Amino acid sequence: MASLSYEQGAHLLRRAGFGGTPEEIDNLSTRGREGAVDYLINFNQIDNSAMESLLASSFDFSSQGDITNGEIRRWWFTRMVATKRQLQEKMTLFWHNHFATSSSKVQDVFMYNQNNVLRQYAFDRFDTLLLRVSQDPAMLIWLDNITNVLGRPNENFAREIQELFTMGINDVVTGQQNYTEEDVKEVARAFTGWNYRRQPPFPFQINASQHDNGTKTIFGQQSNFSGEDVITILAAKPATARYLTWKLFNFFVYPVTNSSADKATIDTFSKVYLNNDHSIKELVRAIFTSDEFFSERALFSLIKQPVEYTVGSIRMLGGTYNPGTNPRGSNTLAQSSRNMGQDLFGPPDVAGWEFNLGWINTASMLERYNFANTYLSNRNTNNPGVFVTNDQLKSITKAASKKTVKKFLARLGPLSVGEALGTLRTYLETGDNGQPVVYVNDDATVDKKIRGLVHQIMSLPEYQLN
Amino acid sequence: MPTTRRQFIKRGVGAVSVSLVMPRIWLSEARAQDIAAFDSRKFVVIQLGGGNDGLNTVIPYTNARYASLRPVLSFDEAELKDAQGHSTIISNELGFHPVMGEFKSLFDAGKVAIVNGVGYPNQSTSHFLGTDIWMTANTNGGSGNGWLGKYADQVYVGKSSLSAINIGGTLPKAFFSDKFVVPTISNFATYTFQTDSRFAGDRNNQLNTFRANNNRALAPGSFAGALADTGIEAVDGAGALTAAIANYNSTVTYPANNSLGNALRMVAQTMTTIPDNNLGYVSLGGFDDHSAQIGSAQDPTNKLIGSHATLLMNFSQAVKAFLDDMDAHGIRDVVIMVFSEFGRRPNENASRGSDHGRAAPMFVLGNPVHGGLYGQYPSLEATALDSAGNLKENIDFRQVYATILDKWLGADSRSILGASYENLGFLN
Repeated sequence: MASLSYEQGAHLLRRAGFGGTPEEIDNLSTRGREGAVDYLINFNQIDNSAMESLLASSFDFSSQGDITNGEIRRWWFTRMVATKRQLQEKMTLFWHNHFATSSSKVQDVFMYNQNNVLRQYAFDRFDTLLLRVSQDPAMLIWLDNITNVLGRPNENFAREIQELFTMGINDVVTGQQNYTEEDVKEVARAFTGWNYRRQPPFPFQINASQHDNGTKTIFGQQSNFSGEDVITILAAKPATARYLTWKLFNFFVYPVTNSSADKATIDTFSKVYLNNDHSIKELVRAIFTSDEFFSERALFSLIKQPVEYTVGSIRMLGGTYNPGTNPRGSNTLAQSSRNMGQDLFGPPDVAGWEFNLGWINTASMLERYNFANTYLSNRNTNNPGVFVTNDQLKSITKAASKKTVKKFLARLGPLSVGEALGTLRTYLETGDNGQPVVYVNDDATVDKKIRGLVHQIMSLPEYQLN
Repeated sequence: MPTTRRQFIKRGVGAVSVSLVMPRIWLSEARAQDIAAFDSRKFVVIQLGGGNDGLNTVIPYTNARYASLRPVLSFDEAELKDAQGHSTIISNELGFHPVMGEFKSLFDAGKVAIVNGVGYPNQSTSHFLGTDIWMTANTNGGSGNGWLGKYADQVYVGKSSLSAINIGGTLPKAFFSDKFVVPTISNFATYTFQTDSRFAGDRNNQLNTFRANNNRALAPGSFAGALADTGIEAVDGAGALTAAIANYNSTVTYPANNSLGNALRMVAQTMTTIPDNNLGYVSLGGFDDHSAQIGSAQDPTNKLIGSHATLLMNFSQAVKAFLDDMDAHGIRDVVIMVFSEFGRRPNENASRGSDHGRAAPMFVLGNPVHGGLYGQYPSLEATALDSAGNLKENIDFRQVYATILDKWLGADSRSILGASYENLGFLN
């Protein structure tokens, strides 16, 4: 069994979750590589009652009218900050991006229900997840399948299920074209009549009179294919295995290139999917326990998603997100993340978010720095919002300025920042008039310079990386 | 990171006007005027995201095939009248959607070039690949830097960091570049580096620390380098921008509840107050009209309502207000280019909508533009459509780019587009 160093444990927790405290990282490291991944992936064994109590006291979704745009965002961010089952939420985020559906077109109650479907089937067989998502009202509405009817097919869903949810336009390994325009038309026919009943709980139904029972030619095969048939066919395609593997690598490991070495890696891992009955769980386990995942190349090779930036800063530092209760709840996290370019429940389009450089522009960088300032300068610890207490900050400080900077860099990564270490130390030792002052870790310094120090660390290029 | 831009950034915005004036000392007067002319030329790109239905934007109202392929969606001659009852017909064959009255007035004034039948060979019907292709002008996979990013790298490095501005939440791939970072702004009010208000005396320390940390020499081409460069650009550019746009005043009323109008007003704010801000980019999404392109649940066949009519009305009103605003500020050298990743299929679907298509019209407009019709409207005959029933292109979109790059922006289009494309004549 491979061992797991503290740095590797931190890396695993930042990627498989949002990062954590030294205690949480130690808990992973002591289990070794496979044991830590087991722990994360068998999350049902982790007690999550604290989060459940917080959700119960912070949200009331007993009537459909309570499930609003703002509330579902507040709810998911609360989960992400408070859960002990970090991989469950991270994987839900992966699928939200994969099956990117937006409240711009879909009612909030359906967005909420879809989110629960994604969470419930996140590690299931991919066939099951794909079927559940496809038959759920949110997707039926989002890609117009409810108006896809016999004789006049609407191709929206038929195209995206192939291009974005399963195979991709071209095979990510072989480069071969995966489907034709004719396949799009024929797949659309297979999904005609797919709809949902308009009364709660809005179950899936096929409107028989609108379903096309004719023979369809799909991928060169002729049959009276149903929508379920198509989903089974798509989930079994090697191209799908490779596309999902490629997406998981880009999300969890490192940006995949077009090199033949990378293509070989994707091909290798895609076999785990094909050899394990399309198990998402086994594919994810293989990725997280791999040498690729712990390689130098993977370390800090991704740019933090806004959700990782915001939620991670609370989890790693030991800060607090008090979500409050409706109508006096705090939606700071959702709003900040949206301003940084990641509006949960509102991806830009069905392709989801563009990662890495897609997150970077001058406005989104200012939003990051300004979220850090909002978080660090909020001393109102009695009201809903995002904050960290002076006591918590003081517990991380040391008597010497250099050791203090090092301690916070370790806490927020651990980060290696070269000469910025000296610059940050100088910041701690500089007074209002720009003159040197002696650093003392007293309450006044914590309230002023330590808060400023963390704002500065969160504004480092290194901190933007994951 | 190239030191040129860093040095420039450190000089701040005050030095910008100097850098533009100084070279004239060494130039002939004619050449200096030439450069001055390019330096004052404005170019604005409007992206219509989702695939605009070209057939219901520039409408072939006399075409029997158009009517028969679109029994629900099509407009006939009598329907091409705007809210004031003015005709939106522009030729014996074509008319604008009736919600585009303002746009029709710009066309009548000779300011709108309609380039019909624009696309490229084997045009992608994927939103994402299609958009990447338009943004990069690379029809082979849509990878690489953006066409405007390449232009910015050639022309703006060493000039004002506010030479080009993108309005919106994300930076479009069109601006992906090696050197020049294009600022992206969604809200002027929050476009600033905030520090702890309890300790105002520490703000300078904060800014100095930030600059020192983000001005470090980080690996060129790395994410860390890009993050640091963008961060510096943001923090330093924000101060200059905030100071400049405070001087904006306008007599023009922009349409209410119109996100494109809001974005174009922001472009007007920067272009009228920052002389070196010459390139703007805005986008309006929602054109993916697979369903309810026309009508509402209560009034399903009303073609003057529904998603497409609302979008085109917002577009028409916003563009008119923006050009009026620029005119009112005495800035007449403005060219706007309008594009979408693809058009929509002639044959409508059963959802009162249309599926992904191919060729569609583009617009290039402004005072300097020779208005009129360019390119051939694609045939709707069954034999002329592609195998999926989509319109074929007659004009390559890179011809439009090349015309603008060569004739308006004073660039060498070949070096940006990788090949020479025939100019189309809508600009001298």
